[in-house]
Amino acid sequence: MKKKLSALCIVLIFVCLSFCGCSDSNSKANGKVKKDEVIVAMPVSSEPEAGFNPVYGWGAGEHVHEPLIQSTLFYTTSDLGIELDLAESCIISEDGLTWTITVRDDVKFTDGDRLTAEDVAFTYNKCRDESSVNDFSMLKEAIAVDKSTVEFHLKYPFSSWYYTMAVTGIVPKHAYNESYGENPIGSGKYIMKQWDAGQQVIFEANPDYYGKEPNVKKLTVIFMEEDTALAAAQAGEVDVVYTAASYADLKVDGYSLFKAETVDNRGFNLPAVKRHTDNKGTVIGNNFTADVEVRRAINIGIDRDRVIDDVLNGYGCAAYSVCDKMPWYNGEAEVAYNPDKAKEILDNAGWKTDSSGVRSKDGVIAEFKLLYPSSDSVRQALAESVKNQLEKIGIKVTTEGVGWDTAYTRALSDPLIWGWGAHTPMELYNIYHTDNSTGYAVYSPYSNDITDKYMDDAMSETDLNKSYELWKKAQWDGTTGITQQGDIPWIWLCNIEHLYFVRDNLKIAEQKIHPHGHGWSIVNNVDMWSWE
Amino acid sequence: MLASWNNRKALLAKTIILTVFLIIISIGGIFMEEAALETDFSRKNLSPCFKYLFGTDNLGRDMFARTMCGLSASIRIGILASAFSSVIALVFGIAAALGKRIDFIVNFLIDLIMSVPHILFLIIISLCFGKGVRGVVIGLSLTHWTSLARVIRAEVVQLKQQPYIKISGKLGKGKLYIAFQHMLPHVFPQFAAGLVLMFPHAVLHEASITFLGFGLSNEQPAIGVILSESTKYLVSGMWWLAFFPGVMLVIVVICFYAAGNNLRKVLNSASAHN
Repeated sequence: MKKKLSALCIVLIFVCLSFCGCSDSNSKANGKVKKDEVIVAMPVSSEPEAGFNPVYGWGAGEHVHEPLIQSTLFYTTSDLGIELDLAESCIISEDGLTWTITVRDDVKFTDGDRLTAEDVAFTYNKCRDESSVNDFSMLKEAIAVDKSTVEFHLKYPFSSWYYTMAVTGIVPKHAYNESYGENPIGSGKYIMKQWDAGQQVIFEANPDYYGKEPNVKKLTVIFMEEDTALAAAQAGEVDVVYTAASYADLKVDGYSLFKAETVDNRGFNLPAVKRHTDNKGTVIGNNFTADVEVRRAINIGIDRDRVIDDVLNGYGCAAYSVCDKMPWYNGEAEVAYNPDKAKEILDNAGWKTDSSGVRSKDGVIAEFKLLYPSSDSVRQALAESVKNQLEKIGIKVTTEGVGWDTAYTRALSDPLIWGWGAHTPMELYNIYHTDNSTGYAVYSPYSNDITDKYMDDAMSETDLNKSYELWKKAQWDGTTGITQQGDIPWIWLCNIEHLYFVRDNLKIAEQKIHPHGHGWSIVNNVDMWSWE
Repeated sequence: MLASWNNRKALLAKTIILTVFLIIISIGGIFMEEAALETDFSRKNLSPCFKYLFGTDNLGRDMFARTMCGLSASIRIGILASAFSSVIALVFGIAAALGKRIDFIVNFLIDLIMSVPHILFLIIISLCFGKGVRGVVIGLSLTHWTSLARVIRAEVVQLKQQPYIKISGKLGKGKLYIAFQHMLPHVFPQFAAGLVLMFPHAVLHEASITFLGFGLSNEQPAIGVILSESTKYLVSGMWWLAFFPGVMLVIVVICFYAAGNNLRKVLNSASAHN
């Protein structure tokens, strides 16, 4: 009898508990109570390892975004133009080496001290000395002339300095120490309230913010793996959840799919020189892709829309350059899919098909290894899709997964699927400009003096709009460049749309084109989001 | 007819059936390699059907071919590694008969390796040798010999006290002669059974470290790769990506285990009465 009673008790307790559980999650799920709070799930890799310190890459790292906690001198508009933020004016000297910037005098850090030119100079000098993730090597020195004027002295002309200034958050000189990343103090829209490493970060609106008052008063960012994040959305625990194309067709009750346009591109390099070994013993170049006609055939022999349907379930758009839709993009890069023309180009260049269906010329077989980072399933699928398509024009591709520890070196001789896309024209320079120490561009052996010259000129141009024109000419000037008619040392496949499940009554403000990195960009303008 | 069979025959028959099954998988898998690598996006994410028994994955690859190919690779790697491993075990085990000092060293090595979890050693050794098939085989070989070596050593130590061995020594035969002429035939049944029983360990460990990303590279159809890829798609309801390969792996391992046990009983008839 006693046993039965205790069993009954246990059952009753469980029933009670499960009811409590239900009511609890119900109150969480209906979004009515929190009109000014947002919970966003981001990839685990988005959590900044070194904390929220701009010097170590917060906002200004590999994946650029607005630093939220700190404010920047300039900001980028939704069409990637440049607007004033902390800065009131900007004067560039004739030689492009000295930039004089007046800083607003009504801005305070959240600890109550005024933000002055001293802080700006301190931040940039610190970045120059210690930043390992963003390039500040062109900065000779930043000098605070008086409380509200700062002078940047550059080593060489650098017109893209605007874009560096648009992502570098200003840190307070008086409150900066080694643990700044964990306890950041800034003058931005938000204050970091709490950071549970490995789990979440909580931001609250800065009441003293000098700009427009943020709509969203509290932002919680939770770091989750893709599948956990999806489960969190299905349980109704978060408001915005990043997701991948492979999950995008799932229906989640109470959520709809939000697509953000990006310049988060994927493409592969084609080594443009013949295979040889350099004096350090590194193998450079590829005998098949060294032929410019081959590269041209590959560029038009790939049906990009098909690739996007295959791999991204249609959530993407064709890419023709590393900077599609940016103000410095040259539309000449666009090509139409034309497999017959591709075959004709190969035939004319002497790459003849034999009985096996694979082309060859003078003993060189038309084949290459297409590498992809083995941790990235999307790039693996891209590689497989490219392989299937190139097979049709008689090129044999084998795919191979590699780790990032060897990928950079291997890519000098075998094509690798890369992902790029940043809010600065410097990316063109990084990919295509010759590195003087080796005589080739850094990531894939290629070199063109004329292209180099345009990029150098673009860097020394003091007028931003004129520099865009030069960047465009570097891509194609009518006779040479890096496009289809030019040297085409890189093939661009697609821009991957960044996908999110968003709670139905949350309205996300218009996004500027997201750069590479499916993380913080979405909350760039979280202050303008609203609940309906 | 079956009734007229004695236990020994039945055991032998079972062992042969299991072996044939394993051989079919390991050889069949080799011929399926091309099909396992073929991607076709027009047939992606299909659930199991008559044409694709195990379904297809997000790249449109036939999971049946991939599973067979992966099992075959696992078995072949397992056999290679077990072979190396058992040779090491045999050499070290018999070496223990040669003298006290060698015995001490062998014992020390066994204790050293057994005191650390296999998987840790495996990961480190595989990484050192550049991952891939080579890393895995070397890693498996260098970590799996210990328990077999201990069994052989125990046998050898016991044998050393046997009168006929002592007499052989008194008659002037060298230590090496005794080891190879008198001891080796005696420990062979233990050795053979131990070798087969090492397979399931090797196969499982190969799958484990590949699953963790320290083994075979992920364009290769390996069971570990298949299982680790499948975890990403379980949440979207694609159960077949993990279920069939997982079940097949378990079946193969059980087959090896049963075959090994049977073989031991057949070869070592004394223990069959236990």
